[in-house]
Amino acid sequence: MLAKNRYAGKSGPAANAGGTAVKSRETERAGRNRKLNTEASAPAQKKAGIYDYSLLFIVLVLLSLGLVLLYSTSSYIAAVENGDSAFYLKRQLIFTVMGLVLMGMVAFFPYRWWRYLSIPGYLITIALIIMVIPFGREVNGAKRWLYFTDNISLQPSEMAKVSIIILTAFIIELIGRRRLQTAWGFLVPMVPAGIIAVMLWKITNNMSSALLILAIAFGMLFVACPDYKRFVALAAMGIAGCIGIVMYIVRTAEQNNMGFRGGRVLVWLNPQAYADDTGYQTLQALYAIGSGGMFGKGLGQSMQKIVVPEAQNDMIFSIICEELGLFGAISIMILFIMLIWRFILVAGNALDLYGALIVTGVITHISVQVVLNIAVVTNTIPNTGVTLPFISYGGSSLFFLLAEIGMVMCVSRTSVKAEAEYELEHSGG
Amino acid sequence: MSRRDRERRGRAGAPGQGKVRRGPRRFTISMQKRLVVLFLIVAAAFLVLAFRLILIQRDNGRSYTMQVLSQQAYDNKSLPYKRGKITDSKGTVLADSQLVYNVIIDASQMLEEEEYLEPSLNAVTRLGIDKEEIRAYVTEHPGSQYYIAKKNLPFQDKRAFEKENQEGAQAEREAQQKAVEKARRQGKPDSEAEKVELVYSNIRGIWFEDNYIRNYPCGTLAADVIGFTVGNNRGSFGLEEFYDETLNGVPGRTYGYLDASLNMEQTTIEPTDGNNLVLTLDANIQSICEKYLKEFNEELKDHKHKGNGSNNAACIVMDVNTGGILAMASEPGFDLNDPYDIKKVAGMPKLNDEDAITTNYLTEAEAEALSDKDRSRYLNALWNNFCISSHFEPGSTAKPFTTAAGLESGKLKTTDTFLCTGYLDVDGTAMKCAHLEGDGMLDVAGAIERSCNVSLMQEAFKIGPEVFCKYQNAFNFGLKTNIDLAGEARTDDYLYAAEDMKNVDLASNSFGQNFEATMIQMAAGYCSLINGGYYYQPHIVERITSASGSTVQTNSPRILKKTISEETSDLIREYCILAVEGDHATGKLARPAGYRIGGKTGTAETHPRKLNQWVVSFLGFAPAEDPQICIYVVLDRINNKKQDEAGRACIVARKIMTELLPYMNIYMTEPLTDEERLELEELGLYDTNERN
Repeated sequence: MLAKNRYAGKSGPAANAGGTAVKSRETERAGRNRKLNTEASAPAQKKAGIYDYSLLFIVLVLLSLGLVLLYSTSSYIAAVENGDSAFYLKRQLIFTVMGLVLMGMVAFFPYRWWRYLSIPGYLITIALIIMVIPFGREVNGAKRWLYFTDNISLQPSEMAKVSIIILTAFIIELIGRRRLQTAWGFLVPMVPAGIIAVMLWKITNNMSSALLILAIAFGMLFVACPDYKRFVALAAMGIAGCIGIVMYIVRTAEQNNMGFRGGRVLVWLNPQAYADDTGYQTLQALYAIGSGGMFGKGLGQSMQKIVVPEAQNDMIFSIICEELGLFGAISIMILFIMLIWRFILVAGNALDLYGALIVTGVITHISVQVVLNIAVVTNTIPNTGVTLPFISYGGSSLFFLLAEIGMVMCVSRTSVKAEAEYELEHSGG
Repeated sequence: MSRRDRERRGRAGAPGQGKVRRGPRRFTISMQKRLVVLFLIVAAAFLVLAFRLILIQRDNGRSYTMQVLSQQAYDNKSLPYKRGKITDSKGTVLADSQLVYNVIIDASQMLEEEEYLEPSLNAVTRLGIDKEEIRAYVTEHPGSQYYIAKKNLPFQDKRAFEKENQEGAQAEREAQQKAVEKARRQGKPDSEAEKVELVYSNIRGIWFEDNYIRNYPCGTLAADVIGFTVGNNRGSFGLEEFYDETLNGVPGRTYGYLDASLNMEQTTIEPTDGNNLVLTLDANIQSICEKYLKEFNEELKDHKHKGNGSNNAACIVMDVNTGGILAMASEPGFDLNDPYDIKKVAGMPKLNDEDAITTNYLTEAEAEALSDKDRSRYLNALWNNFCISSHFEPGSTAKPFTTAAGLESGKLKTTDTFLCTGYLDVDGTAMKCAHLEGDGMLDVAGAIERSCNVSLMQEAFKIGPEVFCKYQNAFNFGLKTNIDLAGEARTDDYLYAAEDMKNVDLASNSFGQNFEATMIQMAAGYCSLINGGYYYQPHIVERITSASGSTVQTNSPRILKKTISEETSDLIREYCILAVEGDHATGKLARPAGYRIGGKTGTAETHPRKLNQWVVSFLGFAPAEDPQICIYVVLDRINNKKQDEAGRACIVARKIMTELLPYMNIYMTEPLTDEERLELEELGLYDTNERN
């Protein structure tokens, strides 16, 4: 209660400034508290570390939920493969703790300094991606990992997401709002993202990450540009393009000469026809979802976790559906919505454009990744390997995600602090 | 997100603008609006996905749930049980199941490391499996974990293979150890030690799976009685079929399931081996019978026509006082270890479309050329146990039964006499006696001694059809004896009912024509005639023991009925002894050296009569004073111009008994002639039975 009061006291004005439309009980209470406590608590707030507790709370809930669900889904495969049912849990726990430490550090690292780190970071990322060619290790038929030791590895694509966020935000800030409206100004921020995307696609054969990186840059541009028309046009073109490609693949399906992506489209359209090979994962995930019912079979009761390939990874959401049912699945989706809403508040309240754009990048990253993951699991789009943020197993992903959260917290912390100082100045003198 | 909210937010942000130090570029309200648009897009996407989830549940929930449940079969493997043994009364194993192994290839293990493949493939060759075949399979199915590369590998081969592997691996380990020690002495680190080439240590992915195959150590011995198994555990014919359930055990099972905390639990239910059969049959007696039947068959083989020495030559030896079968043999036989050998049907009479025999005989070339359907017809005929499945008109061996019926019912007195003039006119039909010149005046004993049809017909008329049929029924003619063997025939269709019986039928029935019986019916009935009237259930299994050897069930001798009185039995015995020993006896040839026996010959014409084909037989007992065994020899249509020679059956019976009686520790009671002494010496039986 104390924490809440404190939080409310500080972030209250910020929340208002950010424009909360959700008149939750909490914010109302926060408002009341603010009125009551402003005078007394304001000086105290200044000394304490300033955090967006509600953001932190949602992240922690997602993380702990993720650990529980990860244990539930991975215990069988871990016991079979490693002889230790907690194998994945232990590793993920270590990643989580390390990630949280990193998050805390990033949260106190002045975010504006990222601007100067963005170009070196980008270059390092590119170097790492290139290093995959000679040094990468193949896992599950894809060469995407850099192994430092047998146990410590890195997926450069995860790092690319962070570096693209800080770099694109920097470029947009440099170009300025007015010049963004020109065609040149619109294209330049997309260039670094485009380069990385092509590299990820060609070198690591990882189209989903490439698309995600393009989406992040695109989302940031969308928020920064004062124009809707070109985005509507681009979206329409994108949709038309997708439909065209799908129709082309279906038409030429008989010739049987397309790569695995073309095959995935065919599987997407009719998973039953490929039930024994390429459609197996999709179909088994659908079986898991379908068998869950309203409230699921209960935590740990999944039968499909033995059958669904990569159940602890890309397909974890299907096991959530099976164990926790529609109720649990939608609850998790609501958690993500709440998280994104918190981000929106932080972005809207940011002191400067750079901070707001970083948050926007994180918003796009997380929301697109969640949507893609759930869409894949429900066979709404063709199968592509995207993990579910905070919940799927994976060190690199978790590590950089928590770094991103740290950045968001830093933006939030900076703005709240400035707001508090301002109010202090006003009330005090 | 109402307009008013947004305005208020704008206002709230406004006061700070001037005073608080902001970044170089402010995040404008229009950008904030676009952020909200972004949020709405994401929220819409979430909504669509939530809707999609609900749709999947609604439309496919049921079928998908069923699908999930249907996929829940984990690692379920049946473990074979051992089918029970069949042993004779002395413990000789007639059928048992041998442990053999199936060689299982686990491709994924073989391919786990590169250096595993070659040693493993080379090891496979040692098991007599083609290396390249396995290589091809392993390359094509790298994920396969279960492939039966070879079936029925004998235990010795498996043991030799495992021993070699073990010793080889041990040697390699020691060599490696030595190399390491050597390196240490030279002060080099372990990793620089000389590498020993690992061959045996790198064998992977070869497993053995238990399996059983049925084995018949005695091959052809008692083949018809024992029967064989199809697919190792389904009995076919004989004991294997009749006692199929007893012999079969319960297969075990290993299965994995997931317990509450989702650990894979492996559970094994051990198989229960089948029960064993211990027979009353004695392999020695059986082989004596088979030896002489074979000898007879060889003697007359291709004699008149190409083919076996007779259509069937069969012999039953029964324990008179228990009903236990001591031997049951028939020719032609077959090898239980290779029952499908088509060569064995050569020499058998050809079958017509209704599976009835013809007078043509199958040559070996014809046998080889049989179509699949015909093959199974002939093989079935071969596999049939003649002693219980075939029926025929018994002929004169039925005369003691007729006499017994008359004496027991009181219709006949021992003092009754009958005149034989060579034939008897029955309702206008002249029914001939075997001796056309006529036997003259005969009493009841003489009628049996000389096997006089005319006297027996007159006896039958005295008895009358009602009593006659009643006694036929009492002697169990026409009914199954319920001997514990598969395929026993029922012959009630070939018997007359009293109300349908005309005089001609009664007359012919009296000397064993015009009704049909199986050998086992005749032998079981005859036992009761001579043992004091006790009809024992004929049986071949003495007891059933469990796999561990304890007795599960004992088939003690079971008296089903009393057919005749002791007194009548004594008389019949006396008459039958007379039929072997008497001056005019027909069964003289059946008496073995040194023993007194009783018995009755039989010479029966088969249907259709015009073919002039005969079944000759001898049905007797030994020894005369204290009958212990009943022997019934039947020669069905011998391969000779003249088929109606009952003497041939007597000779076979005599030969069998000559060996059998000493074997059964029955002492000789009669003096031996020089000739007989020589004969016994030749057989090697004289010394053991020397008497002063």
